[in-house]
Amino acid sequence: MMLTPGLRKFVLTAHVISSVGFLGAVAGFLVLAVAGLASQDAQTVRAAYLAMELIAWFVIVPLAFTSLVIGIVQSLTSQWGLFRYWWVLAKLVLTVLTVTVLLLQLEPIGYVARAAAEGTLSSADLRGLRTSFVWPHGTGGLLVLFLTTTLSVYKPRGMTRYGWGKQHEQRPLSQP
Amino acid sequence: MADPPPYPGTPGWVKASGIAGGVLVLLVIIVLVTGVGGSHGPGRHMPSGSGGAPLSSVTEPGAQQP
Repeated sequence: MMLTPGLRKFVLTAHVISSVGFLGAVAGFLVLAVAGLASQDAQTVRAAYLAMELIAWFVIVPLAFTSLVIGIVQSLTSQWGLFRYWWVLAKLVLTVLTVTVLLLQLEPIGYVARAAAEGTLSSADLRGLRTSFVWPHGTGGLLVLFLTTTLSVYKPRGMTRYGWGKQHEQRPLSQP
Repeated sequence: MADPPPYPGTPGWVKASGIAGGVLVLLVIIVLVTGVGGSHGPGRHMPSGSGGAPLSSVTEPGAQQP
């Protein structure tokens, strides 16, 4: 099913807003994670982890799912398809991977936020967990989102074998 | 009806990305299996039950308190 030009532009705008917002929110999360790890001020550390939990649940997760769902809808309702072009497929795989890691990280983030609320952030164990918010999870997530954004803009060439087959089975029908 | 042209093959950037991704996954698996990077997973560093234990069990009194 193809969308009308007006609706297509609306869906594209929603996809750009959610995807870039996702990237920006992860960047903000990473800054807070660094502040929580590096700051010597206890109030700053506590505030950072409390804010990280809020940003994760109420900004990053909604934007991540919005971006993923709209991206799938957009590709299925355009000539790009979901499995026809390598760059679309790569974006899908990377976004699903990012959302999966994000969901797995929600529990540790909540745990550290609860520890921050109770002022128990000084243990060596929690330091390891807090470090993981910076690297690999925060930085890795941001790098993957840079990559997906770059793929969207450059749209590197190349069809999948499935896309190639689809394109050539449709062509005879469209040409009388 | 003419036969469709043969598939031109997988682009180089996909092959290179696939190799890079494969190497990355292999490195992660090696780190997880050998334990070089310490225990991993969402439940690491948490008391058993992932958050079930009281937070006071990880408290170091006096540190980072305002």
